[in-house]
Amino acid sequence: MATPVIEEQTSRITEEELAKQARRKELLSRWFWRILGYVVFLGLWEFASGRVLEENLLPGPIRVFQTFGDLWADGTVLPAFGATLTRLFIGFGLSFLVGTIVGVISQNRWWDGFFKDATIISLTAPGLIWVLITAVIFGNRVYGPLIAIILTTFGLVTINVYEGVRSLPKDLIDMGKAFHVSKLGIQRNVVLPHLAPFLFTGLRFGFSIAWKVTVLTEIFASSSGIGFQMRIAQTLFKQDEVLTWILWFFFFALFLEKVVLQAFERRYFRWRQAVEAA
Amino acid sequence: MTVTSDKIPAPRTQQSGGIMKVLKSPTFARLLFPVAVIAFWYAGVGVIKAIWPFAVDVLPLPQEVVGAMWNEIIDPFVDGNQAPTRDNLYITFAISLFRLISGFLIAMVLGTIIGLGMGLSKAVDAFFHDWVMAILAMPALGWALFISLVFGFGNLGPILAVILTGIPFVIVNVREGVRNTPRELFDMARAFGVKRNRTTRHVLVPAMMPFFFAAIRYAFSIGWKGLVITEVFGGQDGAGWTLKFYYDAHRAHGVVGYAAFFIIFALLLERFVFERWSQRVFKWRPQAGGVETVEQAFDVAGTSGAMASATFVTGADVEDFEDENN
Repeated sequence: MATPVIEEQTSRITEEELAKQARRKELLSRWFWRILGYVVFLGLWEFASGRVLEENLLPGPIRVFQTFGDLWADGTVLPAFGATLTRLFIGFGLSFLVGTIVGVISQNRWWDGFFKDATIISLTAPGLIWVLITAVIFGNRVYGPLIAIILTTFGLVTINVYEGVRSLPKDLIDMGKAFHVSKLGIQRNVVLPHLAPFLFTGLRFGFSIAWKVTVLTEIFASSSGIGFQMRIAQTLFKQDEVLTWILWFFFFALFLEKVVLQAFERRYFRWRQAVEAA
Repeated sequence: MTVTSDKIPAPRTQQSGGIMKVLKSPTFARLLFPVAVIAFWYAGVGVIKAIWPFAVDVLPLPQEVVGAMWNEIIDPFVDGNQAPTRDNLYITFAISLFRLISGFLIAMVLGTIIGLGMGLSKAVDAFFHDWVMAILAMPALGWALFISLVFGFGNLGPILAVILTGIPFVIVNVREGVRNTPRELFDMARAFGVKRNRTTRHVLVPAMMPFFFAAIRYAFSIGWKGLVITEVFGGQDGAGWTLKFYYDAHRAHGVVGYAAFFIIFALLLERFVFERWSQRVFKWRPQAGGVETVEQAFDVAGTSGAMASATFVTGADVEDFEDENN
C-alpha cells in the first residue's frame, strides 16, 4: 500500500516543480527581453550619437549621464527644483481650490450653465496659450505663472468634482434636510466625504498637467526653476545640458507622481477600507 | 459638462413669470458667461491701471483683441496686408494640420504594429514596455526642446514631435485591446479550425475597435499639443510659430487673439469631428449605466478633453472599466 502513496507524492512534487520551473523560465525570459530592450535602445542612442547625427546635436547616453552628475555637483539642481516646486504647489493649490469651488457650486444648475464653457475651454486649450498670454501681460512677475497654472488645470478638478456632485447620494441629502441638518452641515458630512475620491482623481490628473505647465511658464516668464535652466541650456546650444535637464525634469515628475502621490493614495485608501470594514 | 447635456429639459421653475424663468435658466447663465468675462476684463483693466499701473506690461482690451482676430480672418480677402503675420490664418492652420495628420498617420501605423506585437507576445511586451512608459511620461516640452535643436526649422521636427507624443497612446491602447479580446472565442475558433486571418478579421478586430478609437482620439489631441509646442521652439511657420511671433513682437492683443483661434480650432475639432464620429461609431453600444467607479465616471461624462489633456491617462484603463461595467 505504501508504494502508490509515494508515487503520488513524487508525481505531485514534480508537478509543482514543473509549474515552478515554468514560472521561473517565464520570468527569466521576461527579464532577458527587458534587458535586451534596454541594451538595444540605449545602444541605438549611443550609436546614433556622432554617427547618424553630430555629437553636439545628439549626445549619447554616456555623456548625458556624465552631465547629469556634473550638474548635480554644480549645485544648480536643488535650487531649481525648489523654485519649481514652490511655484507648482502655490499654483496648483490655488487651482485645486478654484476647481473645487466651481465644481461644488455647479450643484446649482444655473452656475453649472455659467461655468460650462469655462471648464470646456480649460480642458481643451493647450497650456501653451495661457503661458504665452500671461507671459506677455505680466512679464517676469510672479502672477503670470500662477494664473497660467490655474487656467490650465482647474477644469480637470472641476470636471471630477462635478461628476462627484452628479452622483451625490440624494437620499442622504434628503434625509439630512428632513432632520434639519444645516446646509453647511450637509456639505461637510455628506457632500465632502462622497466627493473625496473624485477630488483625488482630480488631484492626480490635474497634477500631471500642472507640473508640465509650471516648467513651460518658467521657460517664458521666469528667472529661476527647471524651465529657466532648460531655456538657458537651449539658448547656449548645449544639447547635453538640455537633455540632462529634461531627464531631471522627467525623474522629478516620476518621483512626485509615483512615490509622493501614490503614498498619499495608499494612505487615503487605508482610510477608506477602514470605513468600509466598520 | 458635455454638449449632450443640453438636451436635458430645463427643470420646471416656478411659474412666476416669463422673465424670471429666462433669467433662471441654465442656458441664460451659459450665455451670460462671455458677457461676464468681458465685463470682468474691462473692470480688471480699469482697476489695475488706476491703482497699480506697473503691475503689468500690457493689457489688451477686448476690442483690440477682436480687431486683431478680424484682421487675421479677412487678411486673404482684401488688398494689402491686414495682419502682420507672414502667412494668413488659413494657410498657417493648414500647414499645422498637414503636419499633425502626417505625424498622426505614421504614429497610428507604427503604434498599431508595436501594440499588436506587445499584446500577442510576452517577449515583445517585455522588450518595449519600459520604453513605451517612458515616452508616455515624457512631456511634449522635452521633445520640443530636443527636436528643435536637432532638426531645425523644417517639417521633419514637428512631424516627429507628433509621432513621439502620440505613439505611446496608440501602443498602449492597441495592446490593451489585444489583451481584452475574449480568450474563449479564440479557443473556440482554434477548436473549429478557423483560419488565422479569419479569426483576426472576426474576433480580434471587432474586440479591438473601441480601443482603437480611443487611440485615435488621444493620439490626435496629444499630438496637436506636442506639435504646437514644437512649432514654438523650432519652426518658421505653422500655428505655434505664429503665436510665438506675436509674443516676440510683444503684441498682447495678437497673442490673445491668436490663442482664441487655438481654442476655436480645438472646440470645432472636438465637437464636429470627434463627438459626431464617436456617436456614430458607438451607436450599437448600450448606454453606460450608473456611475460606479471614479474612472468610469471620468469617462462616461464624455470628458474627452480631460482625457486628452491628461498625458498620464491611458485611454486603455478607462475602457477596461467601462467594459467591465457594461
